[in-house]
Amino acid sequence: MQLLPRLSSQTKYKTQLYLFLAPFVVGSLIFVILPALATAVISFAEYNTLGAPKWVGFSNFGRLLESTYVRIAMWNTLIFIGAAIPARLLAALLLAMLLQQRGRLYGLYRAAVYLPTVIPEVAYSLIWLWIFNPVTGPLNLGLAALGFNPPNWLAEPVTARLAIVLLLTFQIGEGFIVLLAGLQNIPRSYYESARVDGATTWQVFWRITFPLILPWLLLLTFRDLIMSLQNSFTPSFVLTYGGPFYATVFAPLLIYEIAFDFFDFGLAAALLVMIYLVMSIFVLSILNIVQRRGAADV
Amino acid sequence: MFRGALTLGGVMRGSLGLLVSLLFILPLYWALVASLGDPTAPPPASVQWWQPDPHWDNYDQVFKIVPMARYMRNSLIVVAWAVPITVITASMAGFAIFLLRPAARDRMVTFSLVILLIPGAAVWLFRFQLLSWFHLLDTLPWALIFPAFAGTSPLFVLLFYWNFRRVPEDTFEAARLDGASLWTIWLRLALPLSRPTMIGVVVLAFVFYWSDFINPVLYLFNPQLYTLPIGLQLLNQFGSSNWPVLMAGSVLIALPVIILFVFLQRFFLNDLSLAELFDRAE
Repeated sequence: MQLLPRLSSQTKYKTQLYLFLAPFVVGSLIFVILPALATAVISFAEYNTLGAPKWVGFSNFGRLLESTYVRIAMWNTLIFIGAAIPARLLAALLLAMLLQQRGRLYGLYRAAVYLPTVIPEVAYSLIWLWIFNPVTGPLNLGLAALGFNPPNWLAEPVTARLAIVLLLTFQIGEGFIVLLAGLQNIPRSYYESARVDGATTWQVFWRITFPLILPWLLLLTFRDLIMSLQNSFTPSFVLTYGGPFYATVFAPLLIYEIAFDFFDFGLAAALLVMIYLVMSIFVLSILNIVQRRGAADV
Repeated sequence: MFRGALTLGGVMRGSLGLLVSLLFILPLYWALVASLGDPTAPPPASVQWWQPDPHWDNYDQVFKIVPMARYMRNSLIVVAWAVPITVITASMAGFAIFLLRPAARDRMVTFSLVILLIPGAAVWLFRFQLLSWFHLLDTLPWALIFPAFAGTSPLFVLLFYWNFRRVPEDTFEAARLDGASLWTIWLRLALPLSRPTMIGVVVLAFVFYWSDFINPVLYLFNPQLYTLPIGLQLLNQFGSSNWPVLMAGSVLIALPVIILFVFLQRFFLNDLSLAELFDRAE
């Protein structure tokens, strides 16, 4: 007799739990998982969102490999990733190590470093568009006052890419916070015994800090790799719109152009699938190297 | 560590810290100074550090060159819908994950992390299709706020979940045995116990929707529905090289975020409270 009402209240509780989870789970399935899977399917079709998709096998991938424009953009993306990820990680790590101290002032410094990350992307890109202006921008005015002969940043392929990487190196709040947390997790006693043993700062960094922070750095590398499919979009849209000479057409801008200027969803989807495959190989090989090195150390 | 110790190293570290934080504020400060410059005067020949004769009317110009007031209203509508919905759905999901059995709980955390690994660009195409099927393309606020119904970001859900892990376990159990419904427990107990997390999520969600440039570019076509970031890009196209007005527009859209951040930063930067949070999350 006692069991029945308890059982029914148990099922009611479970139903309530599932109802609480439903918006997140169902919403994520519809808005994230389903679109990601559909993209993989559409990559084998000719599709402009109006008619029914026409299945074309691997021909989209063939078109990608043949296109010079795609090749240029992929090359740009590789350069961008190769420059932006190390620059952002290094800046975040150095700043986290410098500003991990307790105290009111350090709290303010940390807030200052985080601030650019919350500035709306378009506004921040416009501000840098002005900073990089060859005639009126304060960067070149300042460099000229110091006796340098500053470049016309956004008019040369190399410096234009550098400009976008620089802008994104100012928006590193997330990595900075994560590394602060990682540094806090290293037991103080490690540092103290190292000091007693007379280790130099350099040794302390390579023997203690770096190995213990490495998992966090890897996490951030992977996250930045994924974010690089997105975070260059607004800066390259506002600062250069892909110029000069297509030097800042990175993956997100290319996908946008193919999909929403030419409405060639199939080709854009194939491009995404290809990038994903390359990235997976990248991630797996990094993990492989780390694991092997970890095993060798033990 | 080293608190109050006036060593040479401490002073050097402190001044380096000051320098670095000034460097990170510098672009914003320059933009503020430039936003008050005289738009009719020839461009300055050296770096300007202050404005002897501030032109506040540059801020009026922003509203005259493009219909910025309308864009601001649209942005406010989007934020007014998206932020509360985000807080409700994310906190409900985070709370439910906390109450699940360990195995189911781990599956939900993995599910959230997998979603975090899917970049925005991968879902642009099919979201466009989904919105067009449901006739939600070019609608305000629906075309922009739909991620809010799924908690906006799995990170927000996880933040709430981690928050509840810090609450003594039997707090909710006791209320449940008293016969309170899950809804009541969530509203009366769980939400008041997660105030700092809630404030953090409010700030992050506000920043997300206020700054959102990509979604309106992809899903809005009617100029009447444009939001502030699009308005700023239009200002850039129409008022090109009128730098004082362009910087005024940039400062204007950045200002609410900066104010919110300055008031609330202690919740997620001081005393390394976020570090603590990650610590517990292990």
